[in-house]
Amino acid sequence: MKDFKILKFLDKLKGLFENLGVDYFVMRRILQVKLTLDERRVPTVTMNSSSKKKKGNRFVGSLLVYILLGCILIPFVISQNNYLFQMSFLFGILIFMMFTTLVSDFSSVLLDLRDKDIILSKPVDDKTLNVAKIIHILIYMFYVTFSFTGPALIVSLFKNGFLFFILFLIEIILMDFFIVVLTALLYLLILKFFDGEKLKDIINYVQIILTVTLSIGYQLIGRLFDFSDIMNINFVPKWWQYLIPSMWFAGPFELIIKNNRNFHIVLFSILAFIIPILSIIIYIKLTPYFESNLQKLNNSSGNMKVRGKGLNYYLSKVICRTKDERTFFRFATNMMKKERKFKLQVYPSLGLALAFPFIFLLSDLKAQGWDAIAISKRYFNIYFIALIVPTVIMTMGHSDKYKGAWIYKAVSFKGTKDIFRGTIKAFIANFLLPMYIFQSIIFMLIFKGSILLDLIIVFLNILLFIVICFRVSKTALPFSEPFDTVNQGKGLAIIPLFLILLILAGIHYGATLLTYGRYINIAILVILNIIIWSKGFNISMEKLSQ
Amino acid sequence: MELFNEPIITIRGLKKSFGTKKVLKEINLDVYKGQIIGYIGPNGAGKSTTVKIMLGLIEDYEGEIKILGQDISNGDVEYKSKIGYVPETAEIYDNLTGREYLTFIGELYGLDYDEVDEKAQKLMDLFGLKNVYDSRISSYSKGMRQKVLIISSLLNNPDILFLDEPLSGMDANSVMVFKEVLAELASQGKTIFYSSHIMEVVEKISNRIILINDGQIVADGSFDELKGKSIEGSLEEIFNELTGFKEHKDIAEEIVSIVQGV
Repeated sequence: MKDFKILKFLDKLKGLFENLGVDYFVMRRILQVKLTLDERRVPTVTMNSSSKKKKGNRFVGSLLVYILLGCILIPFVISQNNYLFQMSFLFGILIFMMFTTLVSDFSSVLLDLRDKDIILSKPVDDKTLNVAKIIHILIYMFYVTFSFTGPALIVSLFKNGFLFFILFLIEIILMDFFIVVLTALLYLLILKFFDGEKLKDIINYVQIILTVTLSIGYQLIGRLFDFSDIMNINFVPKWWQYLIPSMWFAGPFELIIKNNRNFHIVLFSILAFIIPILSIIIYIKLTPYFESNLQKLNNSSGNMKVRGKGLNYYLSKVICRTKDERTFFRFATNMMKKERKFKLQVYPSLGLALAFPFIFLLSDLKAQGWDAIAISKRYFNIYFIALIVPTVIMTMGHSDKYKGAWIYKAVSFKGTKDIFRGTIKAFIANFLLPMYIFQSIIFMLIFKGSILLDLIIVFLNILLFIVICFRVSKTALPFSEPFDTVNQGKGLAIIPLFLILLILAGIHYGATLLTYGRYINIAILVILNIIIWSKGFNISMEKLSQ
Repeated sequence: MELFNEPIITIRGLKKSFGTKKVLKEINLDVYKGQIIGYIGPNGAGKSTTVKIMLGLIEDYEGEIKILGQDISNGDVEYKSKIGYVPETAEIYDNLTGREYLTFIGELYGLDYDEVDEKAQKLMDLFGLKNVYDSRISSYSKGMRQKVLIISSLLNNPDILFLDEPLSGMDANSVMVFKEVLAELASQGKTIFYSSHIMEVVEKISNRIILINDGQIVADGSFDELKGKSIEGSLEEIFNELTGFKEHKDIAEEIVSIVQGV
């Protein structure tokens, strides 16, 4: 196990920890183990990137992403009109980013129950372990925060001077303390009312929100640069602004740099320093209480509702033809809706697929106006929903609990047709169709109802596209492989797939130019779909096990 | 006899509830040096809870617990350096290698790195795990992990061992070695607290059996004493009788009839 540089840095603070009553040697050893474990773990931000890096470099990789994203903070320190506005925007973004990062990547640290069994059964006291946990999280938070704020910090040093830089630095540190403690207190609150499963679900959704925000964030970086107009608005303090943490952190800049002695500025500044320190004190007082609630993480008993067969059951009766197909329809529905790792992989792209058709339509709207759009062929934007198809088809074969796949070998199946068809139908019925219907309704409103036939063609094309994607990508039985192999070489396979979609859309476009063209297109697509959906799924078991 | 003078663990009036559920109703117990205690009871009877309370992993209990003469609620964790623990849920940092994990645990006990490393290596060797000492624990089989847990509980040469289902997944040969180790340790004056559901093993290795049901001790004594009080023969049957379970035949018949009905 290697000795980390950060631990050598901590050695300098040894006296401080010992004054707190912490067994420094043990704490250092716990941190060393924790840091080693982290090196062997994958963070959320880079999880979807296909480049396989060497172990230990993954975290550095995700820091680079944060540095890049951090560039959006630069405009906020360049302008010197109104620090209160600029800096509260900046801290608002910062707090959001750090909070979501903390929840998605470091919840496991806060909520690790193994620590209790493994470490506290040894002669180690609570305080040492808790301080080790907090330091562990803070180490990462500082890495991440300083990567994210790094560009803005450097710019501020040259542009705004040393005093500004130091103030900024101190506030970032205070904010980190505040966020870590706030998150811990939030968990405490959730665990007080809910059981561990609920908390894990909440964490899962925060992870999904983070991924979506980051992806859309990339698109928006360019558009954020003309913020300067907003900065010039006059500020009138209102009572609720005292509740917004980013306002507190913005206060000291006005107070110290601009010498603005307004009452609200002074109050914001005081809050910026008092609240983080107060929250640390509250946290230390409440930790024992937190620990006893933590025990609930293992209890998933809660109030389990007795459920009947559910919609899922009746849906499968309607959609599927054979018994095996129905079985896999239900199985896949349950897995896709309940497996957290699967959700983390797929749900962000569901969000993007839902947003993209509208994002592109919006930029057209800006340029041309509603009336021009309504008679145009911009409804082709709805094809962007098919973005999710390759992602889902490729993720379908994977699961966090892939070892459960022994069941395929233990039970004899006649063929794989029903397995795949049931699973893919589950995806269509549960995700694609509801999303498509939702988008269709909005598109119908925008295009004044004249595009019904086109929407049918698009859907038939997507159905065709699904089977093509399935045949082209390397298939594994549903939920039968670990997630590590998801991205191996598959990222590139998406590009030719989109060419196929482009051709299908091109034919559709051609059809719209002819009289009766749409009807002919539909007829051909229906026939093609019938053939491909009945023949396209025959893959022999032997071929799969290769 | 000198061995049995001073109790090494005393429990008086131990009660514990989780919310409204009373898990331990009233436990009184004296444990002496050199005893191997078979701590048995049905699922949810409170076995693991008792052990976890003694290890300080669960707090807020009623009653008094003294281990090695020290009241464990006084905040001093020093007594734990004399205890070894194999938890029921095989919690382990499995991304570490055997060496990394065991030296870490040893150091938590306040031992020196080289000392633990040497000891751990020898024990791994004796348990037949020599060539995986530097592999990640996540690559181990269930029985191998269990052996690592057992080794980790012995590193500090403990006076008291808490073993919660320690043999799960281990092969017959290793089980035989381990049982012999336990007997040897007990004869050296170590105390062993052994919880398990496998009655044959408990019957064989324990010199004192404590049966707990519904948060209370319902039987306490050597196997022969328990047999004397009961009409039944094996520990399994005594267990069934004392926990008031008589319907096993009826339930079994019903299960089979449902199985055949499909």
